[in-house]
Amino acid sequence: MRVRSWIMVLSVFAAAGVSAAELTVTIDDGHGKPAADAVVSLRREDASSAEPHAAVTRIIDQRHETFLPYVEIFRPGDQVVFRNSDRTRHHVYSFSIAKTFEFVIAPGEESPPVTLDRAGEIAVGCNIHDHMITHLFVSDAPWVARSDESGRVVFKGLPKGAYTLDVWHPQLRPGRQAPHEPIEIGDAAATAKYSMPLLPDPRETGDRSRY
Amino acid sequence: MSFRLRLSLLFVATLVGVQIFTALLIYGVARRAFIAEGERQLSAGATAVARQLDDISVRVADNVQVLALDYALRAAIAQHDQSTVLSALRNHGRRIGADRMLLIGLDGDIRSDTSSLAAEGQKFPFPDLVDAALDRAAAAVVAMDGRAYWMIVVPVYAPEPIALIAAGIPVDNPLLSRLQKLSALPNTIELVTDVGGGHWTDVARGNNSVALVSALASAGHELPLKPTLVRADGREYVALATRLRESQKSAPVAVVLGYSLDDALEPYRSVALAWATLVALGLAAGLIGAMLIAKSVAHPIETLAASAHRVESGDYTPVQPIRSKGEIGQLATAFSHMTHAIAEREDRIRHQALHDAVTGLPNRQAAEDAIRQAISNGANASGALLMIGLARLPEIIQTMGHSICDRLMRDAGTRLRAFAANGLVARATDTQFSVWLGGTAKSDAIAVAFRILDALGTPYQEADLSIDTAPAIGIALCPQHGSEASALLRHAEVALIAALDSADPVAVYDPATDPHRPERLTLMTDLREALDRNELRLAYQPKLNLAERRVDSVEALVRWNHRTRGSVPPDTFIALAEKTGNIRRLTRWVLASGIAQAQEWAARGHDVRVAVNLSARDLDDADLPRRVGDLLSLHGVSPRSIVLELTESAVMGEPELAVQVLRGLSDMGIDLAIDDFGVGQSSFAYLRRLPVREIKIDRLFTQRLAEDVGDRTLVRSIVELGHRLGYRVTAEGVETRAAMEYLRSIGCDHAQGFHVARALAPEAVESLFARNDWDVARAGAGT
Repeated sequence: MRVRSWIMVLSVFAAAGVSAAELTVTIDDGHGKPAADAVVSLRREDASSAEPHAAVTRIIDQRHETFLPYVEIFRPGDQVVFRNSDRTRHHVYSFSIAKTFEFVIAPGEESPPVTLDRAGEIAVGCNIHDHMITHLFVSDAPWVARSDESGRVVFKGLPKGAYTLDVWHPQLRPGRQAPHEPIEIGDAAATAKYSMPLLPDPRETGDRSRY
Repeated sequence: MSFRLRLSLLFVATLVGVQIFTALLIYGVARRAFIAEGERQLSAGATAVARQLDDISVRVADNVQVLALDYALRAAIAQHDQSTVLSALRNHGRRIGADRMLLIGLDGDIRSDTSSLAAEGQKFPFPDLVDAALDRAAAAVVAMDGRAYWMIVVPVYAPEPIALIAAGIPVDNPLLSRLQKLSALPNTIELVTDVGGGHWTDVARGNNSVALVSALASAGHELPLKPTLVRADGREYVALATRLRESQKSAPVAVVLGYSLDDALEPYRSVALAWATLVALGLAAGLIGAMLIAKSVAHPIETLAASAHRVESGDYTPVQPIRSKGEIGQLATAFSHMTHAIAEREDRIRHQALHDAVTGLPNRQAAEDAIRQAISNGANASGALLMIGLARLPEIIQTMGHSICDRLMRDAGTRLRAFAANGLVARATDTQFSVWLGGTAKSDAIAVAFRILDALGTPYQEADLSIDTAPAIGIALCPQHGSEASALLRHAEVALIAALDSADPVAVYDPATDPHRPERLTLMTDLREALDRNELRLAYQPKLNLAERRVDSVEALVRWNHRTRGSVPPDTFIALAEKTGNIRRLTRWVLASGIAQAQEWAARGHDVRVAVNLSARDLDDADLPRRVGDLLSLHGVSPRSIVLELTESAVMGEPELAVQVLRGLSDMGIDLAIDDFGVGQSSFAYLRRLPVREIKIDRLFTQRLAEDVGDRTLVRSIVELGHRLGYRVTAEGVETRAAMEYLRSIGCDHAQGFHVARALAPEAVESLFARNDWDVARAGAGT
């Protein structure tokens, strides 16, 4: 699923592609460990907004008390539906500024679609299961992609020019600055490497009070 | 200090010393053991207290975490509903016992504070806790506003971290008390914080009131990270501190644990009390025992000491027996024997001191004491003391030895004792016995004396010996001859000497003849003084030359006019001087004066010879001729002017030396005359050996010359014989004209006597020198 959406994003770029260059961004957690699920956004300095695109509806599944996927990228106007594939109920909620909602979803049920009309990051949790969390990254950036297991994001067919690169990660330590940097893309393939201090993966922390 | 007391004190002091030493030893060992135990307990306790506080913090953190997951709270926080958040925090704070609940933004700013609205917007003071809390719930003990808190910080997930909740749970006395109650922590526990500059102060003390850290600080100790001994509130503690997990931004906080040695020793106090009681009882028993032992030792010794003092003062009463079998008993027995021996010895010595060893009779000292006692008793104030002497005893000793003499004396003593049963018989001297007859008058005493002579008159018989002891007795009567024992003894002795000298073997003391009268000694002293002061005078009796009818010589006679006694008879003091050895000084004075006078007369043209008397004792002096010669040359007097007269007895005494002296004088040209010729034992045969130029017929023959034909014949014979032998003859004691006439008729050379003149002073006699018309013969009397 993740791979597929990644290919899809690339294909979008490829379709739009004129003579373009390739940018590989590698992200780790500062300890040499690849940081998956980081979201890298690129904006051209001259073009402020992305091209308009058709709204889609994405399903965030809940299986084995886990939101799937962990991080999903949305465009403003897209819709999200939470599906309960477990046998327990899930109390799905968000207090995020970008979108606030709350559903109690019975097993096998789906939530009504929620339209994500504003760019921003929406953290979604389950009030019943503390360790369940997913992040809906609503972005209007022209290029936006999620890092794979090896912490890599590859942008292909980027037009030459000056860009601003943003990296976001759901586990970025509060108070730490996320990378927000200008980057020049030329003919040659470019690479960028970022380290981000991360919090522990909340999904893996079964009991948060233990230390 | 008495022996008894010292002995007791020694016992008790030893006992007390040993007990105190033991007590100190035990106390020291116990104390060290408890200190070690305290250190061990404290080390364990320090670990335990840290773990317990951690456990508590975990529990509290869990609680806080649960609160933080409260949906409503999360919603309120996410929706920035401040008042709801504050009230929810208060509510939850009460649930978990937190004093202070804070909501902290992810940026570290305080968003809500249950105890102070003013804190909002300010930075949370412990940002390190905030940072740590994002990884896992953070807890630390912090000091805030002078109090200690468990500050627990947990993130609020909605579902991602949106804020943090800090819960401040006071670590106060109740909490520490609870800790102590729930575990085996030492009961002295104190939470302290550094208020700056290494100065620690306590913020909580559990249920104990002892301020260990201030006591440590005042004792100059740092925070005791190692076990340290400290005295607080008068009790002793082992203290150990352990630092607690703390925020880097907070002042350091530590727990100080105290282990009370006193409390540890508490269970042993009753033991110590029992022990002290035992010691006291033992001490009392020991003291009593020591006193008893000391008494059993000291009492006999004190008794012995008292006895020794008694013996010292002469009381030999036997020592009262001491019932002691040990060394003291032996000492007492020995002491008793010694006392007995001393008493016996003293008796013997006293007996020896007062008795004669040969005869067993009292000695002179004892006799004197007894007589003195008898006299002083008053009733027997009168009595007679008989002194019995054995005249031949010295002779017997010389010929037969002392042992026979001793046997003889013993025999005599036995006879005396048997005889004079009611008298006190004693051995007065080696050769004399004394018998004191109390209350006996003179006649009875003489009768007794004769009876004693009879008893002793029987010769002493021994084997083939028969010794006649020739006893004599002198008697002194009390009180006529003295009322003192010593005087009586002396007087009886004088009487005895008189008896031994005379034919009568019994003599009663006669003071008149006693040559030993004390006043004579005084007289001698006076004579010496008189010589020194020139109180003596020479008188000169003229000697008439019958042929020339003039005084051609004088005899110098010494006269003493005593200052107090008046005129002292020459016979008295001359005889005394001879006996006391003063005669030489007297002679020297007489010689000097006589020679000086002769020189004076010669200077005035008188041709007079001066005769000076010599004593027998003068002839013992070999120096006499030289001295006379010195005097003569000193005064420039011719030896011819001097005549020296001496008695017959004088030249009988020590013939050789006397003859030598006389020859010496004669060789100088001095004429010598024999005085008192005719009454002694001298003979012409003897005289022939002497350089004598003159003889003086004793007055015995001249006094009755006128009446007695025999005397006339004797005198005439002496004169004729003298003249034939070449002697000048002088008649002494010429007191009548008839005598002088007769002497003139028979051709006697000189006459001396009252009829011529008495002894006269020099001036008076000088006037006689010029006369040459002395009427010496009856008219017509020619033969």
